Amino acid sequence: MSEVAKTKEPKEPLFSKKNKQLVTDPLTDNNPITIQVLGICSALAITVQVKQAVVMSISVMFVLILGNMIISMLRNLIPSRIRIIVQLVVVASLVIIVDQLLAAFMPDVSEQLSVFVGLIITNCIIMGRFEAFAMANKPWPSIMDGFGNALGYAWILVLVAVVRELLGSGSLYGYKIFGSAIPGEEWGLYTMGYANNNMMILPPMALIVVGIIIWVQRSRNKALIEEH
Amino acid sequence: METTLDIFVKAIFSENMIFAYFLGMCSYLAVSKTVKTAVGLGAAVIFVLLVTVPVNYLLENYLLKEGALAWIDPNNQALADMDLSFLSFIMFIAVVASIVQLVEMLVEKFAPALYGALGIFLPLIAVNCSILGAALFMSERQYSTIGDATAFAVGSGIGWFIAIVAIAAIREKVRYSNVPAPLRGLGITFILTGLMGIAFMSFMGIDYKSEKKDDAKVVTSQLAPNNNTNTNKLPE
Amino acid sequence: MAVNRDSNGYTFAFAITLVVVVGAILASIAMWTKPYKNANDEVKKKMDILKALLPSEEANDISRKNAAEEFVKYVNMEDAVVLDMNGNVLEGEDAFSIDIKKQYRDKKLKAEEKKYPLFVATNKEGKKSYVIPVVGTGLWGPIWGNICLAEDMKTIQGATFDHKTETPGLGAEIKQAFFIKGWIGEEVSDENGFKKFEVVKDNSGALPSKIDGITGGTITSKGVEEMANRCLEIYVSYFNNLKK
Repeated sequence: MSEVAKTKEPKEPLFSKKNKQLVTDPLTDNNPITIQVLGICSALAITVQVKQAVVMSISVMFVLILGNMIISMLRNLIPSRIRIIVQLVVVASLVIIVDQLLAAFMPDVSEQLSVFVGLIITNCIIMGRFEAFAMANKPWPSIMDGFGNALGYAWILVLVAVVRELLGSGSLYGYKIFGSAIPGEEWGLYTMGYANNNMMILPPMALIVVGIIIWVQRSRNKALIEEH
Repeated sequence: METTLDIFVKAIFSENMIFAYFLGMCSYLAVSKTVKTAVGLGAAVIFVLLVTVPVNYLLENYLLKEGALAWIDPNNQALADMDLSFLSFIMFIAVVASIVQLVEMLVEKFAPALYGALGIFLPLIAVNCSILGAALFMSERQYSTIGDATAFAVGSGIGWFIAIVAIAAIREKVRYSNVPAPLRGLGITFILTGLMGIAFMSFMGIDYKSEKKDDAKVVTSQLAPNNNTNTNKLPE
Repeated sequence: MAVNRDSNGYTFAFAITLVVVVGAILASIAMWTKPYKNANDEVKKKMDILKALLPSEEANDISRKNAAEEFVKYVNMEDAVVLDMNGNVLEGEDAFSIDIKKQYRDKKLKAEEKKYPLFVATNKEGKKSYVIPVVGTGLWGPIWGNICLAEDMKTIQGATFDHKTETPGLGAEIKQAFFIKGWIGEEVSDENGFKKFEVVKDNSGALPSKIDGITGGTITSKGVEEMANRCLEIYVSYFNNLKK
């Protein structure tokens, strides 16, 4: 796509300040999860382990960039009355195609990912960005916007997963940080009577962790504070 | 076997769309500032679920599932082997989106007063993940009759309604509380939802299969509820 | 733009074009990938049977690449049988092609019509072992696995459990070695017939066949328990007939 963007707008460089902002803004002040309230459903369901959060983030990034690009290219053709259906169909077909190809040619990867298929399609971050950005912008900025929002989504997801996996299971990315709690084979902190906080594994704790992240973020940037 | 009533009650409480599955979170957080709007959106969700899930059930069972086309001609082997399930995501989405669109147009034409009250929520519903989520759960769980599927749909809708009205009521009260400024609005709503989710987890202890219980299971059923979280040290 | 994008005609034309294009793409991809997917599923099934069968060091060497050739080394499909719900042998059935997951999900199928495959394997020392596929329901969706009995037809020698949708870190742990370890060495029957299993927390519970459950994964653990009890019972009556 870069060539197209270049030829159409020779005056604006590919990584102009404006385009860079499309990537950096969603990381903090316009974060999809903590500010725009998009993509919450899936963010909470899969943050028990860091590994899954990472896999989910990569999948969302892929779908968001590609989907944003396609919608942006079609934006002058889509009838406004059925635009939501069109957006849904585009994202669903993308995900299904990728899922089918993986199942056929990379079955091991597909086994890891198949759980996420439904979660990606129902992820409102994708619909939200289509509607808010790709429908009104050229392909290249849309790609940048997709990339930025996916990154903003990813870091919150991974942060929540780090907190939950470390406190809930005593490990990070599957590596046992605090030792092992298997009876008879205990080592590390568990021999001293440390116990995992099983509460952290429960889904509602994800909400509370996100709530605390919002608290920290808004304490640092007072402009984001809401009235009520 | 689960009865229809079991499915209904389960969908409202122990498998609540918001508190157990986190589906439909985005509109739940965005449109829960006042009870009045929450009631409107909640009612619209119940209605759309009530319409889309049975339609999707029929589609799934008479069109998409492997062997589902056999009703056209029981003797035709090619039809019986046809498996269109790869289309189910797309079909479910198309049904949800077009029914929402259709309902919007009908309501606008024949009940303008209702449209005034509901209108702005209807487009929001097409992107509400709880609607598509319900269709996928319905397909995953293979309800045996359309009645069961409808009971599940209405139950899920009512569960969602209860959740959004409850949080809206709490948010109306919280407005008069001294919440730390950075936590106001979204932050406190997240934490409140988390606490409500923990409360709703106690419904997981309801044992729906009680009539089939034998001696062996009586002992263990006391352990079954997931409400006691910090219990024993067990292998992780 | 010359075309009025909000006119009904354009909207319909666009919708129809979209449906046709998307439908055609999806259908052709589905048809193109189907043979590959079926082949993958078959290999996966062989892999799972082998993993339940072999001791853990050898089971780790099984991959998609060597599963098919290793499978023939151990499992003799001539010996495999298909049972009905009372443990009687059904003649003329192919054990490998029975999809017990589909059968379990199909609520319209009557209990009498369900078929239960049993795979018989012989190891290098000539000892027989029996692999029983099982399927059940976890917290969010289906769970399944294979349980392997040793030559005496009652001691569990190995097992695999799998799932697609259980909570990571909780119910999903049924896949892990520590959970499976609890099953190995348990006996499925004694002189009185089938022995029920119980998946419990710590050492609570009344039954002798106890298996350590997973904290926070209670409902999935209970699902495994129900699955093992329901499926194994059918095979125990077959084994009892065989012993007589």
